[in-house]
Amino acid sequence: MDTYERENLSADVLIIGGGIAGLAAAISVKEINPDLDILIVEKQTAGYSGKACRGGGVLQYFDFQKIKPEQFVEYHVHNIGCYLGDQDLLFKYVSMNNHMLDKLVEWGAKLPKRADGSYAVIPTGPMTAMIGVDLDITIKLRRTAEKMGVRFLDKVAVSDLLTTDNRIAGATGYSILDGTFYTFNAKSVILATGSQNYRIGPMWGSGRGDGIAAAYRAGAKMRNPEFGNFAQLVRVKSHREVVFGENYMYNKLGEHITKNFRSGPEPDISSTAIAEWFMQMSMAKGPIVLKLEERGGNSIYTIWDRPYMAPFWELNNQWADKADGDDWEVCPLFIGEQSPVKVGHDMQTTIPGLYAIGDTSYCGSALAGAVPAPPGRNRGSGILNAVFSGMMCAQSAADNASNTSLPPVDKNQVEECFTSAFAPLWRDSGCGAKDVIRYIQKAVGPMERSVYMSDHRIATAMKYVEKAKELSVSMKANDFHDLLACHEANAMVLSAEMQFRAAEMRTESRGWFLREDYPEMDNKNWLKWIIVRKDGDTMKLGTEDVPYEKWPVKPQI
Amino acid sequence: MIDTKHRIVFNSENCVGCQLCYKACFVDVIRWDEEKKQPIFKYVEDCEHCFWCEVLCKKNCIKVIPDFESERLLQTFDRYL
Repeated sequence: MDTYERENLSADVLIIGGGIAGLAAAISVKEINPDLDILIVEKQTAGYSGKACRGGGVLQYFDFQKIKPEQFVEYHVHNIGCYLGDQDLLFKYVSMNNHMLDKLVEWGAKLPKRADGSYAVIPTGPMTAMIGVDLDITIKLRRTAEKMGVRFLDKVAVSDLLTTDNRIAGATGYSILDGTFYTFNAKSVILATGSQNYRIGPMWGSGRGDGIAAAYRAGAKMRNPEFGNFAQLVRVKSHREVVFGENYMYNKLGEHITKNFRSGPEPDISSTAIAEWFMQMSMAKGPIVLKLEERGGNSIYTIWDRPYMAPFWELNNQWADKADGDDWEVCPLFIGEQSPVKVGHDMQTTIPGLYAIGDTSYCGSALAGAVPAPPGRNRGSGILNAVFSGMMCAQSAADNASNTSLPPVDKNQVEECFTSAFAPLWRDSGCGAKDVIRYIQKAVGPMERSVYMSDHRIATAMKYVEKAKELSVSMKANDFHDLLACHEANAMVLSAEMQFRAAEMRTESRGWFLREDYPEMDNKNWLKWIIVRKDGDTMKLGTEDVPYEKWPVKPQI
Repeated sequence: MIDTKHRIVFNSENCVGCQLCYKACFVDVIRWDEEKKQPIFKYVEDCEHCFWCEVLCKKNCIKVIPDFESERLLQTFDRYL
């Protein structure tokens, strides 16, 4: 066994992940108690990592002059969350919308406004709207956090969580630059490591599920893992996303096939659009093209002045336009967005002292019900859910850190984490991480396996997952970059297994979740959440009843 | 994305060592050479062509050349494999 440098660090609050959620949480905890020592550990560079700084730059907006939070909740429960959502939590999220926007501005984010000083709002659905935000939002928040005294440790990947007496005690990780092995001891730990996207979609690639896997291994429960199957229409040459393109789909016979799955305006892409694409292609009526002239061009974001991101989009568009030309052929691309770490309203997981926020726990919080993590059929809800959950965890995480002493760290547990984390480096030979990831991508990538599902097709996907699992135990890493890829590959195997096993279990269609062999929503049997947890070396699946009786919007049974 | 063939062209002469490209890379393609005070494009096969390294370089030292054909759409119809 090689020797490596070791370093022990402690903090009142350890935050894993330096994207928008982790930064919002750090600032919110500092606002509650400036004396708390907060450390953010990020496997790349905090402020430049995560998704908020990488593409869309939109925030969901509610005009409370026109709609009340309870009206949106009612609309959402019936049309998007389909009775699987926690209505109290969704109500809080909506009610805090304007406050969160004010907070973001206070923390340094730039939100474009019109000449009269009002936010430049674009309607996106019957009750929804969005406003722009420039992509330096996370850099601004990092600077704000630094000024408040938050400490940062970049280029360190957290591989495992530490527990003592069933409470969180810290984490272990390693530098991806030189392999220094870190032991972190903390009173509160906040996971803000994003969702699972299986390294498929460009720009969505930061979410690789490592935090989800660490929480699972530590014993935290998961909820709604089957909703980790988001997909988006992309142009087939450049793979550029076409947001709202599902409204303008035509087959090769010139038929407007959107009419087959959509009778009126809907807030965002639906899995029925993906299913329609698959059916048209299966009937040899493809390729499917978009006719965007009906909506007046490709870009809907031109009203927003966002100087930091302008050259970024200019460059992206240049290359994509060059590749696509006038070709508007589209197909779906799997994105994923699995976010299953189960949390309560204070974002605390089932392990006391461990919190999970942002895209790590969007589905696990049950905030939105039967829909994958943001966009979750609500454009702009990604950044705001990250801010919301960061703020929601702050009081409890701060109280826990203020009222407890540093828990002891189990040295044997640390050694086990060290040995297991570095094992791929010490193998003489083995497969590469990408060999494993290729099988996982074969399982989740095709739309008929992951989005428009059936028993038979889920079984096919599981065969690929099993093959990946078999290979994963013999992964060989050549350096620390490779080692990180091995850990991410392990997380992908775990996520895919959870996704497909839960999908097999849910014998109905609901919200985004769509099965060809069970096309109806089954309120009699499936007003339930699927719960997954580790039991020894076994993955256990069970259900919990959704307590819909206590909420105002009720399903028909 | 894995197994892509995106290319990154770097003109080291104009680099002023600001590290913005290194910080902006969210997939660990770029490492930092402490001696030369310049980026090393060490894991180009993992590039997701986000372009942020090129966009943030004030001296225009970096050019990302995407190869879209090397990215997989993963659909089971022949034209998208």
